[in-house]
Amino acid sequence: MSASTSTPRSPLSSSSFSNVNGLLPNAKKYEEINVIGTGAYGTVYKARDLLNDGHIVAMKKVKVALTEDGIPLSTVREIALLRQLEAYRHPNIVRLLDVCHGGQSMERDQQLVLFLVFEHVEQDLDSFLKRSPGPLSENRIRSMSYDILSGIDFLHSHRIVHRDLKPHNLLVTRAGRVKLADFGLAKTYDADMKLTSVVVTLWYRPPEVLLGVSYNTAVDVWSCGCVLAELHTRAPLMPGTSDSEQLHCIFRLLGRPSRFEWPDNVSILPDSFPDYPPKNLADVIPNIHPDALDLIRRMLVFDPAKRLTALDCLEHPYFTDEPLM
Amino acid sequence: MPYWYYDKKDLQNTPSFRDGISNENENRYRKEGARFIIDTGSKMDLGYNTVATGVVYFHRFYMFHSFRTFPRYITACCCLFLAGKVEETPKKCKDIIKVARSLLTDQKFSTFGEDPKEEVMTLERILLQTIKFDLQVEHPYGYLLKYAKCLKGDKTKLQKMVQMAWTFVNDSLCTTLCLQWEPEVIAVALMFLAGKLSKFEVVDWNGRIPKHNAWWDMFVEDITMELLEDICHQVLDLYSMQAQPSGGDSPPIPSTTKPPKNEKKPPSGTPPTSVSPVAPVVNKTATPVKNGAGMGVGMGMEPRPELPRAGAGAGAEARFPLYGAPPGAYCAPPPRLPPPPRLPPPPRLPLPLVYSEPPPSYPPVLVPPVPPPPYYPPRPYYPPP
Repeated sequence: MSASTSTPRSPLSSSSFSNVNGLLPNAKKYEEINVIGTGAYGTVYKARDLLNDGHIVAMKKVKVALTEDGIPLSTVREIALLRQLEAYRHPNIVRLLDVCHGGQSMERDQQLVLFLVFEHVEQDLDSFLKRSPGPLSENRIRSMSYDILSGIDFLHSHRIVHRDLKPHNLLVTRAGRVKLADFGLAKTYDADMKLTSVVVTLWYRPPEVLLGVSYNTAVDVWSCGCVLAELHTRAPLMPGTSDSEQLHCIFRLLGRPSRFEWPDNVSILPDSFPDYPPKNLADVIPNIHPDALDLIRRMLVFDPAKRLTALDCLEHPYFTDEPLM
Repeated sequence: MPYWYYDKKDLQNTPSFRDGISNENENRYRKEGARFIIDTGSKMDLGYNTVATGVVYFHRFYMFHSFRTFPRYITACCCLFLAGKVEETPKKCKDIIKVARSLLTDQKFSTFGEDPKEEVMTLERILLQTIKFDLQVEHPYGYLLKYAKCLKGDKTKLQKMVQMAWTFVNDSLCTTLCLQWEPEVIAVALMFLAGKLSKFEVVDWNGRIPKHNAWWDMFVEDITMELLEDICHQVLDLYSMQAQPSGGDSPPIPSTTKPPKNEKKPPSGTPPTSVSPVAPVVNKTATPVKNGAGMGVGMGMEPRPELPRAGAGAGAEARFPLYGAPPGAYCAPPPRLPPPPRLPPPPRLPLPLVYSEPPPSYPPVLVPPVPPPPYYPPRPYYPPP
């Protein structure tokens, strides 16, 4: 199976477009090589760009349920925005090279298969950390932290909340730069995810999401705080196994929030958790640079309004006091 | 990233032309399709941005397809439908079709087939593929307002000038200018034209520096007078053409009946342009202006510090195939970027927000008698009125 732009045949035999076969250029543009990953919302393939000397690309296949009025507004908006962001060519954002959709055969049962074609980056941060023979150097950690925060700040300045930052969708280039991937299709995914039951990792999820209250860009800062800690220890900071277990993990680290800090309109009450005392983050992340420790501490704050913003983080002494390598 | 600007040679050698449709007829189809999007959009109270986005899709679509394969009015509907979604002013497909039906003759509407809505749905996917999902489009309107804010002079006159320029931008949608030049350039040119016609001479502006010869030097570098005039003429030519009968209705028939190469219009069709009461300027003295990669780059959309794209990068890079671009070509320093450009411009100026509103002093017929501005090239083809 391959992404093709060919022959969207009209469902009607009487259609004016009944003979558009072959009218669309580039009948076959990409050839799949193998599956890179299967996520909650479809599959990512390694593929060859046939019109570009077989250049290797990453092709993400997303199924979109067609509505009575065709392609859902949210999907159209999200793709428009992704395309628009691409014009900035931000160094910490994965390049979106092309968008196309599958042919007619895939559109049965009112589904359209979209292919988002991205630059192919050899590894993600998850495998990078697993393969790392020993601790990363302080400079490496700092530069990766800065890359991630720059990418997040860029998204936030365009009103995009990533919502699912984790080492798995942070890509590491050969030069060691980090690029954010897998964002901007939240609404498209949501529509699709209802159909699938997939385990999503909870480890990077902030308390407001776990508690089901409204959330904003601060969610990404929380997730990033977890990732920054992981850069130091090469192990997840809070590996919960369920929603409630994840909250326990968080409160074991931060201490259980007081009633005054607890958000309104939450069905769970603080009393349902033991009165965990706060831990010292320095004990959890040994040998950490004091500035890095301070930064992470200010990112992992229970109240989203009191967390640093991504821009605040970039201006933190951890990055400004000494030049980056 | 796809590149959407073409030079005049490309605009003549289109899929429609290769399919046997003359350039004159193609331009008429483009004009009629664009006009139809504008009319349908205004009737449905869609904003100028949505309408303009739809028209740009329409023009881009026919750089890849022939008018013979895809009849213009249904394509126009589909473009407006998709633009509605992108600009977050969605309209139901069936409502757009309803309005279309009310605006079209039965014969024209027959090109929508037996199940118009289903046709538009199918076409939506073809359209998306054709425009490569490149959905966000910028228009001259925002630039017009931005530039106007910098100009000094009599407020009433300025207002009048901007209003006229706004109408020119509306009308420019009926030309292929959006396939030739960036919206900034079109905004400058049509404001220049409006200034000439409304006799508002811009002598001073905010942010003027000694090396600026004209106000637009502040916004777009290296814009030549030839280029400005070429753009103005393309819009003005619309008005001279309006005096002609719009030619036969005949939409190109889907290829069952293959018409001869470069179809000859029956006598009742479009008369040769030279006999029209106001002949279009055939032989512009403006030197052929190269656009796109050639002059476009030199024309340097680069130094536009105000542009949200932050610096040289985006404008220039968008012109080149992505793959070749060096990694890390992005060089905008601190990642503090201005708010997204898709925010609607604060419509504070009381401008014509609706298409139907005619400009106060400017019905098309008034255009010819206006004495040509001093440095317009002589127009020998201008017959006496």
